[in-house]
Amino acid sequence: MYSGLSLDQAPPISVVTRFFLTVPIFGLALCGLILVNPQAVLTPNHPFSLAVIHLFMLGVITMSMIGALFQMQSVLGGRPIPSAQGNAFLIHLFLLIGIASLSSAFILNSPPLFIVASLFLGAGILHSANLILPLLFGGGIHDTLRGMRLALISLFITAVLGIIMASEYANASFSGFHEAIRTSHYSLGLVGWIGTLIIAVAFQVIEMFYVTVAYSAWCKRNAFRIIAAALLLKIIWLFGALPLAWMFDLVIAALLIGFATTTANRLNMRKRRVSDVSIWFWFFGIGLLVVSILFYGVFEVSGYPPALSASLIAFALFALSVILGMIGKIVPFLVWFHLNSAGYMDAPIMSNIIPQTRAKYLFALTVLTAFLALEGVILPDAFALAAITGGGMFALLLFNLMNALRLYRHTLTHGKRFEQM
Amino acid sequence: MILEFMRDDHRACDHLYTEAEAAVLAKDLEKAASLFQDFAEATLHHFDMEEKELFITFEKRTGMMGGPTQMMRYEHQQLRTLLESMRLALSENRPNDFFGIGESMMIMLQQHNMKEEQMLYPMIDRALDTDAGLMIQTLREMVR
Repeated sequence: MYSGLSLDQAPPISVVTRFFLTVPIFGLALCGLILVNPQAVLTPNHPFSLAVIHLFMLGVITMSMIGALFQMQSVLGGRPIPSAQGNAFLIHLFLLIGIASLSSAFILNSPPLFIVASLFLGAGILHSANLILPLLFGGGIHDTLRGMRLALISLFITAVLGIIMASEYANASFSGFHEAIRTSHYSLGLVGWIGTLIIAVAFQVIEMFYVTVAYSAWCKRNAFRIIAAALLLKIIWLFGALPLAWMFDLVIAALLIGFATTTANRLNMRKRRVSDVSIWFWFFGIGLLVVSILFYGVFEVSGYPPALSASLIAFALFALSVILGMIGKIVPFLVWFHLNSAGYMDAPIMSNIIPQTRAKYLFALTVLTAFLALEGVILPDAFALAAITGGGMFALLLFNLMNALRLYRHTLTHGKRFEQM
Repeated sequence: MILEFMRDDHRACDHLYTEAEAAVLAKDLEKAASLFQDFAEATLHHFDMEEKELFITFEKRTGMMGGPTQMMRYEHQQLRTLLESMRLALSENRPNDFFGIGESMMIMLQQHNMKEEQMLYPMIDRALDTDAGLMIQTLREMVR
């Protein structure tokens, strides 16, 4: 009855940090692209725009989320990912090559690079889903696990649709379903993968780490069912070219607004009052989620294209804000935890690994970047400025991560260790 | 049943910690020491309930001796050390260290609680079946 269940503590630190370390590098690359041609990036379906979108959604967001999944799986999934080091190495490598190829394929309009991207991204994402999904079935079940299942299934289908589109781009031949595939691809990617995983994690993290009132059991039980049903019906509607597909967007928007207000309310009423930059990142992210939904509503009503760009930018920055807050907690914890577990007496405490001052600077740069990027929808000069502040933000993130790992390695080499019992 | 009982106890301990943390924040270290003592005692009592009754009964019922319960015991040991470091930091008037160690303790404690609430307690509930009520009675009667 209980075979295969293990409550192991954590995979080796390199499993998680290899994903996190790549995040600022892709971030810096996309900021560079924006700086080179901000106007092109703001033009829908322009190759620069598609390259930047995929660098962000895959290189920054998906890379961090898969890294976090390797860590979360042993805590929330009950069964750790097998051969975590080898699998993390392979998945990371495939994603790295795939993301770099895809972005280059868009910019250079190169059919061979689209094929390389399909192969490596497809292999990386499908292998991740194939590796983790079976671990989420067959054991106990709880609400966060349901969310993780939906997120991974959505990522899997997003990747399949992406491969189909990449082959269309490679052959410069687009099927009659291209628009339906494209809309399904980004709906599943944004809401099914990114939105769902963030909600699933919030259901655990907000209540337990910040000591808040619990989310209602009804919400936790039904949120993922509603998202799954709305996405499935939307896709059917899109492929059937049926009218009123926006109804499903409305349902998802209502659910996301409900999540945002409930989370903000819980954080506001939290019992832990100690100052913590990760809470600022959560609040700011939630605010951006609401802004994104409002702009999407404006676009649906008016058809004004900049409103859609603003909605996408706000959604991307919502995810980034939450992720930066979480990385700022996870990395110092992992450094401390692995050193402490290995018996190092002088393992640095979390606040000395990424000091609050630097975490606050990172938050300030995130806020500045978000305001400039949203303003940039109307004023391309502001968008170029957002690329500069965004570059600063990713550079600081890289510095924080490298410094944390430097401290880790320094303690491993020079630290005092308890004798092993 | 076990899940609800033990989860409520986790939350009660968390609440005690927030009160101690708030007192340190308010720089009332005397009050903080007393509130932290309440939190530490409640948490250690929770560990005792698990190690002296719940885990032993579960292991006898299922024959799982070296599995998840062993890992939970190991984590209890790590958490006991952290609680002692925090108590020392308070008694030596080092509030920054208290917060620094407290951050690690809180993340570790919550990860530990998640594993128990999501996986272990439901397993114990299944293993104890109709005897869960009796077990809760035994746990309630355990002296702090």
